[in-house]
Amino acid sequence: MKKILDNYLEKMEKCLRPVPVSERIDIINEIKSEMQELQNNGVSDEMIIERLGNPKDLAKAYLGDLITKEKGFSWNRVLIICAFFSLVGFSGMVVIPCLGVIAPTFIVCGAICPCLGLIKLIDQIFHLGLPFADNIGIFVSESFILNPLVEFILILLIGVLMFFAGIAAWKLLVFYCKKVSGTAKRLFV
Amino acid sequence: MNIDDWKSQVKRGTLEFCILLLIKKQPSYGYEIISTLDQYPIIAAKENTIYPLLRRLLKEEFISSCWQEGTEGLPPRKYYSLTAKGEEYISAMSVEWDNLLNAINEIKGEKA
Repeated sequence: MKKILDNYLEKMEKCLRPVPVSERIDIINEIKSEMQELQNNGVSDEMIIERLGNPKDLAKAYLGDLITKEKGFSWNRVLIICAFFSLVGFSGMVVIPCLGVIAPTFIVCGAICPCLGLIKLIDQIFHLGLPFADNIGIFVSESFILNPLVEFILILLIGVLMFFAGIAAWKLLVFYCKKVSGTAKRLFV
Repeated sequence: MNIDDWKSQVKRGTLEFCILLLIKKQPSYGYEIISTLDQYPIIAAKENTIYPLLRRLLKEEFISSCWQEGTEGLPPRKYYSLTAKGEEYISAMSVEWDNLLNAINEIKGEKA
């Protein structure tokens, strides 16, 4: 199948998102079948596209049916929508700002941690006596001081952990937003 | 005088009937249905009308569908066939259609 026809089907598929996956695939396959049918009859790709019209309009024709089917008023639907917005409203108030702060902070801290650890290590190895270097590191007790190398490795480990925790928080945030918008779309289309 | 508006209304009301009659005659696939309807301008319709309509008829279980593998260079085709419920629906529509035609004929006759 030529590229413009594939493009056409791709555009259609995007517009058909509110339709369940299995039905979507079926719709696309049926249009694809007609494209091949037309090709066999010697119709050029350009003519096929022209015949089928705008992919968005063709997709919308399928959705039109969906809208009229779901528009019927029902208390069940009202309840679902209320529940959805209450949940999203409350969870969003906590989830989005929390993850939004946690993600970049952890990523930045995770990146800074090994750098500081390295500075301390260099400071201790070469006895540079850099200002504030004593404030860096893992404090166990007055009497017990960690070996500089062990300390550095621990710091490195903590940095890596923080970095990945930040990435995870970020992914969680993206996942949450996608889930919410996906559900909203399904409720209202 | 614009007859097109009225024609599209007639089409909207009868397309479903025509498609079901076509499928009753023999199981058929989308492109074939569109091509057949194309021979009659009054009920000719494009893909964006026929396919969603077929899907609605499927959902209401007047027709059923079945994919058939393509052979000898032919693409796979989704064949539609009439269900028992569809048969009933067609008979009911046929009765109403005859009523309509009779009514029109009678009224025409009276006026003439």
